[in-house]
Amino acid sequence: MASLRSTRPRLMTAAALVLGASLALSACSSSGGGGEDSGAAKVSKQASTSQYRGTVLSKHFDKPDLVLNDTSGQPYDLKARTAGRTVLLFFGYTSCPDVCPTTMGDIGVAMSKLAPEQRQKLDVVFVSTDPERDTPQVLRTWLDSMGKDFVGLTGDLAKVKAAAKPLGILVEDPVVAANGSVTSTHGAQVLAFLPGDDKAHLLYMAGTTVETYAHDLQLLAQGVAV
Amino acid sequence: MSRAFRRSALIGAGLATALAAGTAVVACQSSDGGGSAAPKLSVADPYIPLPATPGGMGAGYLTVRNDGGADRLVKVTSPAAGSVTMHRSTEKSMEEVGELAVPAHGSLDLARGGTHLMIMEWAKQPALGDELELDLEFAKAGTVVVKVPVKPLTYRPGS
Repeated sequence: MASLRSTRPRLMTAAALVLGASLALSACSSSGGGGEDSGAAKVSKQASTSQYRGTVLSKHFDKPDLVLNDTSGQPYDLKARTAGRTVLLFFGYTSCPDVCPTTMGDIGVAMSKLAPEQRQKLDVVFVSTDPERDTPQVLRTWLDSMGKDFVGLTGDLAKVKAAAKPLGILVEDPVVAANGSVTSTHGAQVLAFLPGDDKAHLLYMAGTTVETYAHDLQLLAQGVAV
Repeated sequence: MSRAFRRSALIGAGLATALAAGTAVVACQSSDGGGSAAPKLSVADPYIPLPATPGGMGAGYLTVRNDGGADRLVKVTSPAAGSVTMHRSTEKSMEEVGELAVPAHGSLDLARGGTHLMIMEWAKQPALGDELELDLEFAKAGTVVVKVPVKPLTYRPGS
């Protein structure tokens, strides 16, 4: 992985990993000083003719069959509730200081740039990888800082792992440190599912800019083909 | 903090300037007589995004610039929080780091999605507009005190 230097091989490697599917995108950063600026997460997409700036997936993942509690504490069937709708799906946890609030916050800013009728076409769904601490109430409070209409799901971690795995997203048991801090290992990519086939067609790595989200969410809301 | 009175005095003077400016620019010098090996540190663009959960888990970001020799950030504390730790986000998780290199004539960037401070146990729930003190302890340059503004959750420097 350390040999990845130019944009194109990096993209192709990302695509290969995505094709490989059942494993999470492995870390191609931290091979030196450059790892810290998450440069490896910035997969650009020059090889594609798509209007979208996110990574276009060649393998279209099925929307996971996942029933968990939403933030009102009621069962939420992801497949049934979001059938025929555009969905952005992210796995994370609320005690995460950096990547989770940054990603969800940036999506929130991008959503706020859309007209209300456009926003209503998109469902942003956050699935907790730390359900023990992320109760529906905790999740709602956290999500409200980024999007009042964001859907938060929490419940059985085994179900969460099973749902994430076929998407190439690794979720592991959270680890609680002596000082009470929680570290959860979770793939930090965002997947966009399209309304036509309810499958994932686009992927956004951690570090995707607000501008990229704003650009692509606009296209998604307009139903522009990937 | 108490390693050298003269240094503390210097930092105090720097802090006064920093308080006025909103960001800290504190020159530190080692007591070994200077020379090319002494780090010359300044801190730019420090900020704490408003935690998503009020009073909950927070992060801190800043850039340490160094116009001198290499140094290391070995510890961060704050009178505003019971726990400040240094972490590095990886592709799928994050790991605590014991120290961070400040390269000679280079910089240490604590930025979103990369190396960052994890802040817990707030003395008082942070609010927009607050300025919270972070004490950055360097191996050579000693402690640099920075006043860090609390910014909106999605803030980025320059935005």
